[in-house]
Amino acid sequence: MTTLLETRRVTKVFGGLTAVNKVDLVVSQGMIASIIGPNGAGKTTLFNCISGFYNPEEGQVIFDGKVINGKLTDRIAAMGISRTYQNIRLFKNMSAVENIMVGFEPRMHQGWLPVMLRTPADRQEEKYVISEAIKLLKYVGLEGLGDNLATNLPYGAQRRLEIARALGNNPKLLLLDEPTAGMNPQETDTMKAFIRSVRDDLGVTIILIEHDMRVVMDISDQISVLDYGQKIAEGSPNEIQADPRVIEAYLGPGASALSDKYRRERQR
Amino acid sequence: MNNLHIQKSAKNGLVFAVIIIFLALIGFTVTAASMIQKVFGVEVSVGTMPKYSALIAFLAFIGLWNGWRAAKQTEEHPLQAGHAILAGLASGFVTGLFALGYSLIVGTLQSNGVNVRVYLSSLSPESIIYFLFGQSPLSGGFIQLSLSTVSAAFGALLVIFWDRSQHQFLIWKQKLSAWGNASWPAKLRRNVFVGYIAMGVVLLLLVILPRTWGSYWNYVMGTVGIYVLLGIGLNIIVGYSGQLVLGYVAFFAIGAYSFALVTAPEPHNLNWNFWIAILVAVVASAISGVLIGLPILRLRGDYLAIVTLGFGEIIRILIKSDLLKEITLGPRGIRNIAGPTLFGKSFSSDSDFMYLIILAVLLSIFLARRWQESRIGRAWLAISQDETVAQATGVDTYKYKLLALAIGAAFAGLGGAIFASRNQFTGPEDHVLMVSINVLCLVIVGGMGSIPGVILGAFALKGLPEILRELESYRLLVFGALLVLMMIVRPEGLWPATRPKYEENSPPPVTVEGGSR
Repeated sequence: MTTLLETRRVTKVFGGLTAVNKVDLVVSQGMIASIIGPNGAGKTTLFNCISGFYNPEEGQVIFDGKVINGKLTDRIAAMGISRTYQNIRLFKNMSAVENIMVGFEPRMHQGWLPVMLRTPADRQEEKYVISEAIKLLKYVGLEGLGDNLATNLPYGAQRRLEIARALGNNPKLLLLDEPTAGMNPQETDTMKAFIRSVRDDLGVTIILIEHDMRVVMDISDQISVLDYGQKIAEGSPNEIQADPRVIEAYLGPGASALSDKYRRERQR
Repeated sequence: MNNLHIQKSAKNGLVFAVIIIFLALIGFTVTAASMIQKVFGVEVSVGTMPKYSALIAFLAFIGLWNGWRAAKQTEEHPLQAGHAILAGLASGFVTGLFALGYSLIVGTLQSNGVNVRVYLSSLSPESIIYFLFGQSPLSGGFIQLSLSTVSAAFGALLVIFWDRSQHQFLIWKQKLSAWGNASWPAKLRRNVFVGYIAMGVVLLLLVILPRTWGSYWNYVMGTVGIYVLLGIGLNIIVGYSGQLVLGYVAFFAIGAYSFALVTAPEPHNLNWNFWIAILVAVVASAISGVLIGLPILRLRGDYLAIVTLGFGEIIRILIKSDLLKEITLGPRGIRNIAGPTLFGKSFSSDSDFMYLIILAVLLSIFLARRWQESRIGRAWLAISQDETVAQATGVDTYKYKLLALAIGAAFAGLGGAIFASRNQFTGPEDHVLMVSINVLCLVIVGGMGSIPGVILGAFALKGLPEILRELESYRLLVFGALLVLMMIVRPEGLWPATRPKYEENSPPPVTVEGGSR
């Protein structure tokens, strides 16, 4: 399998705190890779370094053979990295379809003049984007809700809409930050199946931050464990479950759904 | 009903006491009474006070409101009639007591020969006597007290009536909307021709009105039109792309001055053609928008607001300064700016200008809608709602913000050029901060991001002060109060923006939907 994303000794420092410390990560094409770790382990910071929100102090992020750290986020999005957010960040006062249409932005090319003149090329593009956005809307299971403002959608629908928006630019790599946070077991199962189908149907490589171990163990091809900003283990779900360092640092006996804090306290 | 309720009512009464005394002190009571009298068709002759019945009507109105609020405050479900009336009575009585006290103090001062007018310029002896219904301070005060108490009790009765009839209202409302959706109004609404006819009527009015309603209204409506232009421009910058730019007047000034400089005989004697000069003004403003945007659009929120605020002032002061006196004639301003010509004929009567402004407004509405209802408008909205995420979703935020500023500035430049041409003069004092604030207000009052909102807002903000001329010196006070009220009652604006319905209007899928796209 070819390597799609690679981080080389990526380090991000906030003041005196090293949030991400020399993390090496290799994700191959077509994989579902998970990043797990206790709260504050630096998972989201690593995501932010990959998607361009932060510029790491040290190290490189290599996507598709190109170094991308230091580029603006819109350039990185145009190269094919999309993401969702831990706390949902939709464009609240735009309709659901419009949210997805914004996701198509890197694939649209008409400037202010063609838009002003409504040239045939502009009409064509607009038509195409509307129909594609509605297809995506149906794909994530929000048919019939497309004209509602994003802020009026139920929680689960907002999570799905965020993924639909992220799929708009036809990404090669999708970063999902806690996609099942705040969901009940039933919704979680649906989301799990959905994530898998995104990979299978669209061929998108997915990196996942997740706390729900059932989800992580079920769908991941590769799991990386972060603790205090450092990668302490990496491997298949079975390897991770058997890894003494991980068990020591994190999982504990029978640790399927215990909260991070509780786990930590048990360790001490 | 307990002590707490009585206390609440008394507090409510206190608020209204402050209102009544304040209005009396600034002399607004007399103005309001004469307005009421005028509404009923009886002119107030100069130098005399309006009739007492008008005063009673005004005080009774405030009393009703007082009782209404007091009774609402009991917050009972269901409302008990006795409690509501008691609350109204208590509140009205407290207000009345203060009115009595006020009457006693002011009346006694007056009868002891103290000229209160020295301290409060609006409090003339006549107005004091008027407030006391021509009686002695004590009996006048008691009239106030009883009026306040009785009208507040009636206000409470209104609440009871409202409470009892609300259910009935709801049924009527449902019936009405059901009828409206089923019967001929719905057919009318769905018929495309009705839309065309309505549009035709509006266009016809736009053609006829400037010829018929005289130069005063042409002037007022022309100003409204220019503010619509400015509003449409600022709406793109603030309402769509969400950049709080407070120095919008700078672009207005640049448009006005670049137009003036190339057409006026002084100081450069270029005498360019009107239409070319308009183009120059628009392009110059757009370019200035880009040039200013380049450094400052990295700022966000409050910082951007402050920097642009300063920028607006800098442009005005630069125009005024000795530094550019050779170019701009400094504080004197530029005179004899050219009016429009068409096929060599002058075209600058007030109705001609009105047509020009209407054309410009229609054109800008057309253009603004094209941009707003496209990928560009969506990108702007995305930026205004979450700039970080918009950029991470692939929106080139910097480019779009610059574009918004350039387009917005171009509209302001067009407005400025027409403004300068209509007045045949432009000077630094035409381009003060107040213009920016007015335009921002009209965008917010109308409804951010909505073009009909901008038009309504312009009428409300530039037209209403003209209509309120009756109120003379209280014009701005009333106007300010209306703004405050408006923002409390309807913070989303007069005509808030709605989003297009893409899914509803999309063609139905040809094939049965599958899993892949």
